[in-house]
Amino acid sequence: MTLELQHEMKAQPTAEQTARGRFVSGIRGFILNDLAADLGKVYKDRAAPKFKGEHGDAPKTSADAHKALRGDPMFNIYSAMRVQAQKMVWSSVAGGVARDAEKMEQLAQANTDTGGNLKLNADLEIPRNVSAIDVHLMPGSYVGDGQSMAPGATYDRGLAIFSMGLMGANLDDIGLSMARYIKHRFPDFSPSDILDTGCTVGHNSLPWKQVYPDAKLTAIDVAAPGLRYGAARAKLQGVEADFVQMAADDLDFPDNSFDVVFSSMFLHELPKKVRAKAISEAHRVLRPGGLMLHMELPPNGQMEAFEAFYLDWDSFYNNEPYYKGFRDEDPQAICASGGFADGSYFQFVVPSVGIYGEDALIEAATSDAAHSVGAETTGRLAEGVMWFGFGAWKQ
Amino acid sequence: MSADDQPLRPEGAPKGIYGPDGKPQFFGEPGVDRMMAVIMNLASELWVTREAQLHDEVDRDAAAKEFIDRIFEPLREAEK
Repeated sequence: MTLELQHEMKAQPTAEQTARGRFVSGIRGFILNDLAADLGKVYKDRAAPKFKGEHGDAPKTSADAHKALRGDPMFNIYSAMRVQAQKMVWSSVAGGVARDAEKMEQLAQANTDTGGNLKLNADLEIPRNVSAIDVHLMPGSYVGDGQSMAPGATYDRGLAIFSMGLMGANLDDIGLSMARYIKHRFPDFSPSDILDTGCTVGHNSLPWKQVYPDAKLTAIDVAAPGLRYGAARAKLQGVEADFVQMAADDLDFPDNSFDVVFSSMFLHELPKKVRAKAISEAHRVLRPGGLMLHMELPPNGQMEAFEAFYLDWDSFYNNEPYYKGFRDEDPQAICASGGFADGSYFQFVVPSVGIYGEDALIEAATSDAAHSVGAETTGRLAEGVMWFGFGAWKQ
Repeated sequence: MSADDQPLRPEGAPKGIYGPDGKPQFFGEPGVDRMMAVIMNLASELWVTREAQLHDEVDRDAAAKEFIDRIFEPLREAEK
């Protein structure tokens, strides 16, 4: 499914660029649904038995599954195509972004208030995990030349193609599913100040304002292009939010100043020490009774070997070097190391509200039935999506 | 090479998964990886010309899926 973004800041593609994007979404669907199913079958019927024959035991871990699959013709085809499709995501939107650069600059200037809803920090040193690699194989990563908003626009439009329509018309399905889950699960919780860390263009920040309209929303990131783009993107959608250039592991906020500290698909992009510091900082800035919540990929310890490696693939082949290291950690231990009491930890799997609907989400939020982290679609962009979240309350 | 110049890699990455250019390599002959990219680029460009010829009422997403399934079907058949 081809997704058309629903806001004025988007780059407007030509018919040819739209067709190219449609192909990329389609080929990703083919790879992530059809070839992935073939890969699972090959793993079960051929790669895992071969591994057992060589090692005396079936694959037990993600690393074992990786070893079992490396060199298999189906794995080679699946992987080579997935890498190329990822590169095509970004190349398919580059032309439209370049063509509309001036229009986007004008819109941004008219819809952002530097020092108001947009606060940049030119002295902030961009960390290597953002500046030294093309994260997700996106040329220039989140920073580009440091001046242009192009990385923000490229990420926004590219994510629409990447997600094959599975993240909603405003790319906010994760934020919306998470915020609504919290609203239904904890109906007495009423946050006044919400912080989204590692927000990129704020696509998953804005739903919090939708679910808690009286709260003040602040979204931070280290990369200025996404913040400049995101601030205008929010304003043009009528959402009041502050976008601030700041690192999650070095928050320039007083102690006890937020009720929610959130992130989505962020922790796995941080080196281990930085990640631990970000958790400590979240604990510091939360008020007692406040909630830290992270939407992430499910941990390897709760998945079978093949499913675990299926997600870890990105760590090795999609320029996400900390992804597997994060997934090898225990989320509860991560929270505890940041100062959160063990008893305050919780985790859940929530059905995508865009795909399964509000009733399914409410059922998940209000029942105590165990959710299956190992479900085939947990954390995957496949024909159905289940999002994994974990968090802890500050006592 | 200083630590700041080292490429960022996942811990425990198996040896040999990246080629001399530092990019992922899957096939024994690295030219095959590049050819796979060429094939996908060609298919994309062919689709662009095909879509331009479609009548307005045609469901373009469905047509693209049919096109992709047909072109890339042999990759699946090889495993059946």
